[in-house]
Amino acid sequence: MEKAKIDSIQLFILVLLFEMGTSIVLAIGIEAKTSAWITILIGSLFGCLLFQVYIKLFQYYPNDLPTTYTRKIFGKYIGSLISFLYIVYFIYLTARVLRDFGELLLTFAYRNTPLFIVNSIMIIVVIYGAKKGIEVIARTAELNFLLIYFMAITGFILIFMSGLIDINRLKPLFGEGILIIFKVVATQTVYVPFGEMVIFSYLFPYLNHPKSTRRIGTFGILLGGINLAITMAINIAVLTAPKVENTPFPLLTTIQQIQIANFLERLDVFFLVTLFIGAFFKILLYFYVAVIATTTLFNIKQKDSIVYPLGLVVLILSITTASSYQEHIQEGLEVVPIYLHLPLQIIIPILLLGIAMVKNKRKKKNSGQKANSDQQNLENSKPSTDM
Amino acid sequence: MAKAKWSKLFKLTNKHKKPISPKTKDTSGEANNIPKKYLDKQLGINIQTLQQTTGNSDDIVIRKIELGINPSIKAAVIVTDGLVDDQLVSEFIITTLLEETKNKEIIPVESLFDRIEKKFLTIANVSSIYAWDELFPSLLAGEAIILIDGLAKALSTSTRGGEKRSITEPTTELSIRGPKDSFTESIRTNTSLIRRRINNPNLWLHSMKIGKVTQTDIAIMYINGIANDKIVEEVKRRLNSIEVDEILETGYIEQFIEDETFTTFPTIYHTERPDVVASNLMEGKIAIVVDGTPFVLTVPALFIEFFQVPDDYYSRFDISIAIRFLRVLVFFISLIAPATYIAVTTFHQEMVPTQLIIAIAAQREAVPFPAFVEAMLMEITFEILREAGVRLPRSIGQAVSIVGALVIGQAAVDAGIVSPAMVIVVSITAIASFATPSFAMAISVRIIRFSLMFLAAFMGFYGIIFGLMIMTLHLCSLRSFGIPYMAPFAPIMAKNLGDSLIRLPLWKLKTRPKLISQKNITRTADNQKPTPPTEENNS
Repeated sequence: MEKAKIDSIQLFILVLLFEMGTSIVLAIGIEAKTSAWITILIGSLFGCLLFQVYIKLFQYYPNDLPTTYTRKIFGKYIGSLISFLYIVYFIYLTARVLRDFGELLLTFAYRNTPLFIVNSIMIIVVIYGAKKGIEVIARTAELNFLLIYFMAITGFILIFMSGLIDINRLKPLFGEGILIIFKVVATQTVYVPFGEMVIFSYLFPYLNHPKSTRRIGTFGILLGGINLAITMAINIAVLTAPKVENTPFPLLTTIQQIQIANFLERLDVFFLVTLFIGAFFKILLYFYVAVIATTTLFNIKQKDSIVYPLGLVVLILSITTASSYQEHIQEGLEVVPIYLHLPLQIIIPILLLGIAMVKNKRKKKNSGQKANSDQQNLENSKPSTDM
Repeated sequence: MAKAKWSKLFKLTNKHKKPISPKTKDTSGEANNIPKKYLDKQLGINIQTLQQTTGNSDDIVIRKIELGINPSIKAAVIVTDGLVDDQLVSEFIITTLLEETKNKEIIPVESLFDRIEKKFLTIANVSSIYAWDELFPSLLAGEAIILIDGLAKALSTSTRGGEKRSITEPTTELSIRGPKDSFTESIRTNTSLIRRRINNPNLWLHSMKIGKVTQTDIAIMYINGIANDKIVEEVKRRLNSIEVDEILETGYIEQFIEDETFTTFPTIYHTERPDVVASNLMEGKIAIVVDGTPFVLTVPALFIEFFQVPDDYYSRFDISIAIRFLRVLVFFISLIAPATYIAVTTFHQEMVPTQLIIAIAAQREAVPFPAFVEAMLMEITFEILREAGVRLPRSIGQAVSIVGALVIGQAAVDAGIVSPAMVIVVSITAIASFATPSFAMAISVRIIRFSLMFLAAFMGFYGIIFGLMIMTLHLCSLRSFGIPYMAPFAPIMAKNLGDSLIRLPLWKLKTRPKLISQKNITRTADNQKPTPPTEENNS
């Protein structure tokens, strides 16, 4: 673990940037039509619940990275295996987001550029950032956060002034029924972007005020959810739900509608910058977490020695995992949530927490009354053998 | 609370941790090849040693005199010509010595020495010297040395003087409203200019000599109780660990003590204005004054500092806010204007209003080069012009500007080498880079500008954003004496944002920068907002 410290406001900004990430330019939860923004809000609520699980685990092991405490909880071999699974998961997701970003950029502006070039330029910045460490990442996030919010506010004012917003397009509120909302929440929005907060359990040990983590983190998730929901609501109010569903980047289409005084138009640069910053921090955080998880699992002293090879792996993986963008999207919608997100974001952390709670109770009892220790050990050994 | 935050953010680099070797302290002996260590009893031998060591240099003047009668004692006054105040030496030393001992018996010599030191001499600072390696530095610093036959010691008297440049208006940092004095090449003048502005015993000065051969005087100034002790210690340690033959300018010092060498951005601030140094000292920073140069260093330096000028504080706050915003705009223009032109004309034609892009395309019709080559050509031409202008004597300068207007102007367009739009872009970039207050920052931007142009030619806006992101990461990783370079933006210090991109009214700026000064943080009392007289006050 590198010796670095980030403070609460930096954590908050990292959470916010990570949440918005690439999700802000995409149409998440649009299956629920006009209620898409509600699915995002509900997703963020579930995200907060999940976040409590990660926080609770951190509070049991305040000085350890998950790779370390997984081994403490599950034992050396199973724990290492699970940690390794997480590393693979993080590397794969880094590659996925990188692919997402590359494809977005290709369709948006660089139709004739090879994906490899676009992705490798991105991975160069990411490697550079990961080498600099979490403190620098956090400070860079602060600067970019100011920029993003400045652009968001300007953009909102411009959209509003152009007279594009028609609230009636958001009706009917539950047009497709309540059920579909929960279906979309359960299959999409819980995992992306809110369940992805699992990576922050690798950053908690770097905090200098660990006590405020729960409050700050939860607040960050909720605000991120609200931001995404507002963006989606504006997209729908400007474009109507069917159009949002049919355009690849609703935010871009919305921005392109802006036309003020025959001068303020074609603000595509806004979109490009938002896309770049969002994707950059998402990829960077995934990648950084993959790097520190690898270094702690394999006891590598210098993270620099692992950054370049991992970067190369991510770059190649991002191009080879899917042969086309359609295949990539299909994997993302059908395979990843059920076989990757669900177990790794929800099931394993909850299992970990359950066992940690039991172990912790036993420890407390052991220290409290040593006389009965034999009996308790017998009792408590049951759940661990069940595993 | 403040302390905890400090210990997190204050991370000193360990690069400079070299043990201070005793060599740096007395290196004059080694460098000057003095044959003996201590002075001899006989005057003749001493003078011989002196002449031998200095290679009979003509500017070392040895005035031999005889004191007293029955028997008279030989003595010598030795000065370095040009470094001493001639009047002082002849009136207060030679005249005094001769007059006081005239027609008197002055044996024994020991008592004579004491009498000279305590009774005769009417000069402020007198000290005895026994060793040659003490004698030479004081002699060469402009002190007069008195040697007496029969004594293995010498008297050194402070007679420093000689020619100095007088205090003039600053030449590189002009201001419209503000003091008009600037530093000179003399360290004493410079420290006195600072002291005159801060009349407080807590303004502490710590002197040292750096440079094995040059033995340059260095002074560290800080305000005890406001400056951070850790940073003061760090500055002293880094200065002490410098082992080099010569220090000729603050730039030499800067390169030995900066946190990060491989960066285009300056992490140490330098100025020739005493008011800037005074205001930096009041923020808890530390000034390093070097003899022989009118530039004074202040550390730690923050990024935003290079966009602030003293006028900002002297003029009203709303005006300084507007001008500071303008400077940041100027920073971005000089950074990305040519790159944006390249990106737009090569990749993103759809982002420009149709009429404009048609006009630009029509102009570029006749130009034989791609936009990147065109921009490079013009930018390099401009850089040549600028470099030529800096070093030319004033009388020829006129010629360069006339020729320059031909190269970057209508003639270049008529020749079909560049398009008129490109000329405008280059000109606005040039003006913008001159509008950046700090030359050190402007030059670092110029270097980055070229790489951004290359990236723009390669990948359009994506390339520019890529370059800017690398730059941001790099900026955020910099530290100046342990202080994050991008503070107060990253890490965000809400209280210090009042004097960053904006400048609030002075009565609103209640605290010093939090990261730099740790203790005694308040500088303005509460309720300082000026109000018109109320009814009760009037009556």
